[in-house]
Amino acid sequence: MAPVIPYTYIQCPCSDNSAHDNANDTHSQDSVDDDERTFDPRAPRSNYSLYPLEYLLYCEDCQQIRCPRCVNEEVVTYYCPHCLFEVPSSNLRSEGNRCTRSCYQCPVCISPLQSMSMTPSQDPSHLNADGTASQAGTYALFCQYCNWSSSEIGIEFDRPSGIHAQLAKVKNGGEHKITAKEIKEKRKENPDEPPIPDEQLDADLQFSTLKSFYQTQLADTNTAVTGMQFDSVGFSSPAALSRIMSLYTGHGHPGRKRQGPSDVMREALTTEEGLKTVDLDESMAIKKLQQLGWDETASTQQNLEQTEVSRFQDGLRPIPYLLRTKRSKRCSVCRHIISKPENKVQSTRFKIRLVAKSYIPNITIRPLNPTAPPVPTTSRPQHPEEPSLEPLKPYHYIVTFKNPLFDSIKVTLATPNTTPGRFSSKVTVLCPQFEVDANTDMWDDALKDDGRDRRRKGEESNGQLEAGKIWERGRNWVSIVLEVVPASLRLNNQEPGADVDKSPLKEDEDVLEIPMFVRMEWEADSQQDVGAAPGKDRDGREKRELAYWCVLGVGRIHHD
Amino acid sequence: MASGAGPALAHRSVASIRSAPLQGPPGPSTPHTPNRNIASAYGSPSTIRADDDVVVLELGSRHIRAGFAGDSSPKATRQCGPEDQRRVGDFRSWQAPRRHAGLDWAPEHEFWRYDLRDVDLGLCQDNLERVVRDAFTKYLLIDSRPRRLGLVLDSAVPVPLLTAVLDTMFNRFQSPTISLMASSVTAAVSAGVRSALVIDLGWAETVVTSVYEYREVKCTRSVRGGRLLLDALYKTLHSLLRENNPDSDSDDDDDDDDDESRTISFDECDDILRRLMWCRPSASKSSQRESTQLETVEEQDESEAESLQDVLQVGVTNVPINSTNPPSTLEIPFEKLAEVCDDTFFDPSVEQATFDDHELPIHLLVYQHLLQLPLDVRAICMSRIIFTGGCSNILGLKQRIIDDLKAIVNKRGWAPVAGKGVDQLRNNPKLQRRPSGSPTGDGPTSPSEAGDDQETASRGAADTSHEHDPIEAKVARYREAPPQVHGQFRVLHSLGSWTGGSLLCQLKMPAMAIIDRDVWLQQGANGASRPSDIDVKAQQRQSVTTGGYARGGGGHHTNWTLGAWGYL
Repeated sequence: MAPVIPYTYIQCPCSDNSAHDNANDTHSQDSVDDDERTFDPRAPRSNYSLYPLEYLLYCEDCQQIRCPRCVNEEVVTYYCPHCLFEVPSSNLRSEGNRCTRSCYQCPVCISPLQSMSMTPSQDPSHLNADGTASQAGTYALFCQYCNWSSSEIGIEFDRPSGIHAQLAKVKNGGEHKITAKEIKEKRKENPDEPPIPDEQLDADLQFSTLKSFYQTQLADTNTAVTGMQFDSVGFSSPAALSRIMSLYTGHGHPGRKRQGPSDVMREALTTEEGLKTVDLDESMAIKKLQQLGWDETASTQQNLEQTEVSRFQDGLRPIPYLLRTKRSKRCSVCRHIISKPENKVQSTRFKIRLVAKSYIPNITIRPLNPTAPPVPTTSRPQHPEEPSLEPLKPYHYIVTFKNPLFDSIKVTLATPNTTPGRFSSKVTVLCPQFEVDANTDMWDDALKDDGRDRRRKGEESNGQLEAGKIWERGRNWVSIVLEVVPASLRLNNQEPGADVDKSPLKEDEDVLEIPMFVRMEWEADSQQDVGAAPGKDRDGREKRELAYWCVLGVGRIHHD
Repeated sequence: MASGAGPALAHRSVASIRSAPLQGPPGPSTPHTPNRNIASAYGSPSTIRADDDVVVLELGSRHIRAGFAGDSSPKATRQCGPEDQRRVGDFRSWQAPRRHAGLDWAPEHEFWRYDLRDVDLGLCQDNLERVVRDAFTKYLLIDSRPRRLGLVLDSAVPVPLLTAVLDTMFNRFQSPTISLMASSVTAAVSAGVRSALVIDLGWAETVVTSVYEYREVKCTRSVRGGRLLLDALYKTLHSLLRENNPDSDSDDDDDDDDDESRTISFDECDDILRRLMWCRPSASKSSQRESTQLETVEEQDESEAESLQDVLQVGVTNVPINSTNPPSTLEIPFEKLAEVCDDTFFDPSVEQATFDDHELPIHLLVYQHLLQLPLDVRAICMSRIIFTGGCSNILGLKQRIIDDLKAIVNKRGWAPVAGKGVDQLRNNPKLQRRPSGSPTGDGPTSPSEAGDDQETASRGAADTSHEHDPIEAKVARYREAPPQVHGQFRVLHSLGSWTGGSLLCQLKMPAMAIIDRDVWLQQGANGASRPSDIDVKAQQRQSVTTGGYARGGGGHHTNWTLGAWGYL
C-alpha cells in the first residue's frame, strides 16, 4: 500500500512457512487446502510479510529470498550519528547506548544542539540574584532551530566540551545531583545524620540505593543459610534432620538469642535503602498547570525521547544522541553472510551485498492507455496520478518482467480469478507463461544480428490484445497484458450470506490489489562442477526454480 | 569443557576468548546451544555483551519497554499505533493528511486486550515481533544472538496470549530461557517492600493487586481506566468543538454520525489527556481544610486559596488542534477536564449501590479490596500503597483516591456490612454497646480498631504493656526484625514494574516460572504443570548447581510451570 500507485510488493517465503505451520498445528484437516490457498494481501497479517523489492536480500546458497525477518544480524561497529566517532563495544556496557561526547539533541524539537558561550549581553549579576547559578556558568547548549537553550532549564556549563560529564552532575534548575557514593561518604563522616528527605531521592538514586540494599540483604541471607544451618529454622537447608528437629523443638537452643542476620530479607526502611514515600499534595503542580497552560507542558512525543517523564517543558533535558550500528547479515538457515558493510563509519560501501534485485525479476506495472498527462521533466520525481478506476469497467495494464540473471528464465504466473477480500474484482492474465531472455551484455546484444528478435515475432501480438501472446519483448524484458474489472464498492451489492461484513470501508480497502504467484525456472551453471571440463556444458548446467507471491497494486476504485 | 575446547581456542578471536569465562561455570547446558558457539567463533565485537546480559521486557497493553537487567530505566519505550502496522516501505505516516479514526479507535493502539474473542493472535505476534525487533536494533543495539529474557507482564494475561508471546520470543528471537515476572510483584520490588497494595491505573482497566511477601494475594479490577477516560474526554472535546463553530461544523456533524469517524485524532486526544488532565481534591478534604482555615485565621493562605479557587473557576487553556479540518484552536476550561476525570474514576453523582462489580469507582474498589483481605495482610498492605500505570500521572488523582478512601474508612470503618440498616444501628445510641466501636470516635489513623474488637484489644495490650505478653516477648527474642509500619495509609513511590524486573534479573533471583526453549518447543503450554506441583526448593537447588540463574538443559527438569499465569 505504498502511496505511489501502481506498485509491486513481494512476500518473503519465510512468513508463508510459519503460516503453514500454524495452520497444520491448529487443524490438520486443512492441510490439503493449504496448497491451493491463495495469498490474501488484504489480511492484516500480510502487512508484516510484504516488502518492496529493494528491501529484500537473497541467499545464494539456499537460493531463497531473505527478508529482514529471516536474517541474523551481527553488529560490525557502533558509532554516533552526529560526531561519527566509533564507540568501542566495551564502552557500551559501561556507558549505555548514547553518545558520551558532547552530542545532544534539543528536547523540544530534536535538532542538534551546540554548546556556545553565553551572550555577553546577559548580565551575570542577574543570574546570581536568581540563586540558581551562583558560580556563573559561561556556556550553554543552544538549539539552532527553535532557539531553545539549556539556560532555560537552569543548566550552564563551565567548559564547552565534556558536556556529558558536566550534565550528569546537574539537575534541571542547576541543583547538584546527589549520587549514592556521596551519601555513603556522608554517612561515613557523621553516622548520626538523618537520611536524606524523600524529595531529594530521584529515580537514579533510588535505583542505586535499592540495588545496594538488596545486594547486602542477599549477602546476609546467604551467609545465614550456609554458615548457620542448625540455628536457622531450616528454611533452605537440605539437611532433613535439622528440619525435623526444628519442627518439634522450634529452635535448637531455646534460651539463646539468635545471633547474626535473619534468614528472611527485610524490606527497605529509609531513603538510604531506597524507600520513598510519595508526596501526595500535587496542588502546586495543578496550580502551575493552570497558570501556564498548554504551551508549557511537555508533549507525549517529547516525553518519549526522555528517560524520565516530565509534565512541564522545564523538566525536559537535552537528549544525548542515540548510537547507531552497522550490521552484517547472515542467512538464518545456512549462516552464510549475505550483507556486510565496510567497517569504517564514514564509508557507505558494502563488502558483500546480495540484494534480491539482482536475482529475481523486477516487476513493474503501468496502464496500457495512460490518461494522466506526463509529468514535466522539471518535476520528475513526481509520479503521474491516474484517475480512480470506474467499477465494472475493464482496464488493461502492462506488466513488465525484467530479468537480472545471465540466464534466460521461464516465468509462470498464476492469479486467482477474483481478488480476495470483500470486494472481489475480476482478473485475467492474458499470457501466463513466457520466457525472458538473459541479461547479456549490452554490447553483445548490439553486435549480434537483429534477426533473433524477429524470430520470435510470431508469439508476439501485433499491438492487439490477444490471449496467450506477450505484448512486447526486449533484450532482457517481457511485457504482458493484465485485464482487470474492478468491483463495485457498494456494500449492498454483495451476495446475501450469513457472514456479510457490512462495516464501513476500511483504510485502503478501495485499492485494487492483485495477488500473483510467480514461479521462475532457469538453468544455471552448476556450482559443484566449476572445475569440470568446459566441454561438458550440458551436463554442468542445473535446473533451478524459485516461486513466491507478489502483490500488484493497480489503482483506487472510484467510490460511487 | 576446558579440555575439549583447548585446541579450538587457537583460532578464536580475542573477543571469544574473553567471553568464555563469562559463560558461567561449565554446566551441561552452556555448550549445548549450537547457535552461540558458531556465533562466537566468528568474533563479532558484541560477543562480550551477549552472554551475561539479560534483556528485560515489559509488555503493557499500549507500551512495550525493553532494556538490560541492571539498568535503572528501560532503554526503549515503544508505543503501539496504526502507523506502525503499515507495510515496510510505506511512508504515509509522514505525510499529511492523516486519516480519521473510526469510532472504535482503541484496538489499533493496543498490543493486546484481555478479551481474546476478536483478537488475531497471529497479528499480535507479528506486531510484537516488529516492535521488539525495532527496540532491539535501534535502542538496545544488540544483534540477533540468543539472549535470556525476563518478561514482566500482568498476571491476568490469558494463557493463549502468553503462548503467542512465548512462541514469538522463542522462535523469532531464540531466547534460551524466559522467566516470567508479575508486574505487580516487580512494582513492589522496585519500591523496596515485600508486601504492597499495587493500584495499577492502566489503560484497559484499573487493577488493584495486593502483594504479600512477594506473592499476589488478591486481585480486583474495574473498567475505569485510561480507555474510558479518553473516550469521555473525546466526547467533551467534541462538544466543545461544536460549540465553538456551530455553523461550519453542522454539516460535518451529520457526516460524523454517518461515517462514524472521529473529528480529533487519537494521538491528539491522548496528548491532551496526558498534558492537561487533573483531578479535583476530595470533597471531604476540602471541607476539612476550610474548617481548619476558619479556625486559624491566616490572611495569606486564604487569599492564596481564593486565587486558586478563581483559577479553578475561570481557568481556560488554548489547545491547538491539527487533526480537524481546518486546524483550529480549542479553548478548554480546566473545570471541564476535572469533571471528566471525576466522572470517569469516581462518578460521585451516582448512588454507590448502583455500580456493578466491574465498574466500581476507584476508591470503592480499593476499599472493597482491602476489606476482603485478611486482617494482617490488610494492615501491612494499606501502609504500602503503590500507584503505577499511565493514569497515575494525572495530577491530584492519587491524593483524591487516598482521601476518599480515608473518608470511607472514617465513616464505615472496616465493617463488611453497609447500608441503611447498619447506619441506623450505629447511630442508635441505645443499641451501642461499646463507645470505641463508634465510627466517629476513632481517628483516621487507626481505622482497624473500628472493625474488629479482638484487634483493638490485642493492640491495646501491646501498646501499654509490651513486656507482659509472653508470646510477643518470645517472638521478639528470636526475631530481631524491625517493627513494620502497619495500620495506616502510606503511599510509596515505586520505580515501576520494568525496573523491578531489571532488579530481579540483576540480582539473579530465580523466578517461579522459568521456561526453557527446548522444553517449550517440545511441549508448548500443555506441558506446564500447576504451580503447586513444582518443588521450588529442588528448582532452586538445581539452579544453584547449574550456575546461578539458568537452569540445566536436557532432561533435568521434569516439571515446569507458568506460575501465576495458570495451566491448561
